[in-house]
Amino acid sequence: MSTAPADVQKTVTDFLTSIEKLPEGFGTDTPLYADGAELDSLETAELSATLEDVHGSDPYSIGEMPQTLGEILAFYAGA
Amino acid sequence: MDELLRRVAAVDPARVAVVTHDGTRTYGQLADDALRVAAALTERGIRRFAIAEVEAAAVLPLLAGASLAGAEACQYPPDAPDDLRSLVERFDHDVLVTDRDDLAGLAPQVLGTGALLGGASDPSVVVDPTPTDDVRPHLVLTTGTTGAPRGVRHDWNRLVRGTARVRPAPDERWLLAFGLHQFAGLQVLLHVAAAGSVLVAPAPRRPVEGLEAMRALGVTHASATPTYWRFLVAQLRSDGGPVPALRQVTLGGEAIPGPLLGELRATFPDAAVSQVYAASEFGSTGSMRDGRPGLSIDVLDRGDDADVDMRIVDGELWIRSRTGMLGYHGEPPIEADGWRATGDRVEIEGDRVLFRGRTSEIINVGGVKVHPLPIEERVAAVDGVVMARVYGRPNAMTGAIVALEVVAAPGTDEAELKTALKAACADLVPASRPRSITFVDEIVTTGSKILRREL
Repeated sequence: MSTAPADVQKTVTDFLTSIEKLPEGFGTDTPLYADGAELDSLETAELSATLEDVHGSDPYSIGEMPQTLGEILAFYAGA
Repeated sequence: MDELLRRVAAVDPARVAVVTHDGTRTYGQLADDALRVAAALTERGIRRFAIAEVEAAAVLPLLAGASLAGAEACQYPPDAPDDLRSLVERFDHDVLVTDRDDLAGLAPQVLGTGALLGGASDPSVVVDPTPTDDVRPHLVLTTGTTGAPRGVRHDWNRLVRGTARVRPAPDERWLLAFGLHQFAGLQVLLHVAAAGSVLVAPAPRRPVEGLEAMRALGVTHASATPTYWRFLVAQLRSDGGPVPALRQVTLGGEAIPGPLLGELRATFPDAAVSQVYAASEFGSTGSMRDGRPGLSIDVLDRGDDADVDMRIVDGELWIRSRTGMLGYHGEPPIEADGWRATGDRVEIEGDRVLFRGRTSEIINVGGVKVHPLPIEERVAAVDGVVMARVYGRPNAMTGAIVALEVVAAPGTDEAELKTALKAACADLVPASRPRSITFVDEIVTTGSKILRREL
């Protein structure tokens, strides 16, 4: 799949929905961890694997720790 | 090895020993072949050699002749020339015995099988077939699932000792589902020769050919890995043909999922289902015939008089065996009768020693050690799953995550199956839940075993 923002956003949204952690009003500035989607380390690891599977790369695998969907989108925009 | 063939040949030389789709060889013929091979090896001064042949009827006399002459034979896997070249170099083989045209020049001396099966050119060169107590070496290569293959040094005297309790069974027809380059294949061969049974040896030896041989060549007994049996049962269901009339189903070579035992009992209702626990290094430890997963706790702490004894050290099974290896090729000898770690993680549950996977297969998820096998068993029980593989997938956040590969049954909705798989694992501790689920056409195996590490 492409790394277009809409596609990446759908991947993240679908993932959060599948683990029942999609915050109300989820957007590019919503925190992924505490005070937001509240992903724990294993769920973050799963998000990393999901992004890699769907889009061929992911920010976590190169040592980045995006805090929001916006930072994930920025990673692909700059890739 | 030779003495087992000769023992049967002495009383019934015309008894069939090997059956292939191309023909048969009797015990008498194999014993004579072995004598000629031993004479040829002696005349040529060959003390070590490799074999690159797959036909059992050709390989058997080479192995038996080598055991008689005290020469170390090593059967290679049926691999491509480049792979075999690396084995020739790694294991210092100056002589390669093969009829394959693509292996010409692979070793300093390449001989056709006929050069040895034809015997010595000087008829005065004969070999006394009386067994001796001297070490009669044999080299078995490991599959190399955790690195480069190693050469495991055995002694035919010790290997034959492991067959002392095998009873005569001339009516049994055993399928050779393993290659003779594998220790498990050697175990089947030794058992058949000790029992005076028939070895049914299809080539190649994939489950599809194994099933065909069961039906066409009257196989009554078969020993294979759990992975092989899973494929064979799937093939049986797929082709809708007759169910082979097996009397014995034996599993070994890798940990055995409990549900598979029940599936095999249902598929082959007239067969006894048993498990063997063996490895290239420590040999065979006997079989469990009660059809239950794992080993009886009676195998533990049998005492110094037992040929095989086991104990559990920090969750890992250790073994002392008087039929095990002498050591590894190119490495210092080991204390052959001493205790050795097996690499198998086990737990005692009730009166059973249950296998939890290989120590090398443990997945470290953020510091939590996860055994893949129980997860694989749980997943395999989900409707729509044909086969499954659980392994550790590297991950920047946690070091690794539990990953799952699944072969889905034809017509299965993958999205629905994925949901069912997650539900089946929902009550596992978080580190053990599969975090990556992939649907594949087939599960990659090596030596008919599932590889539980990332490929």
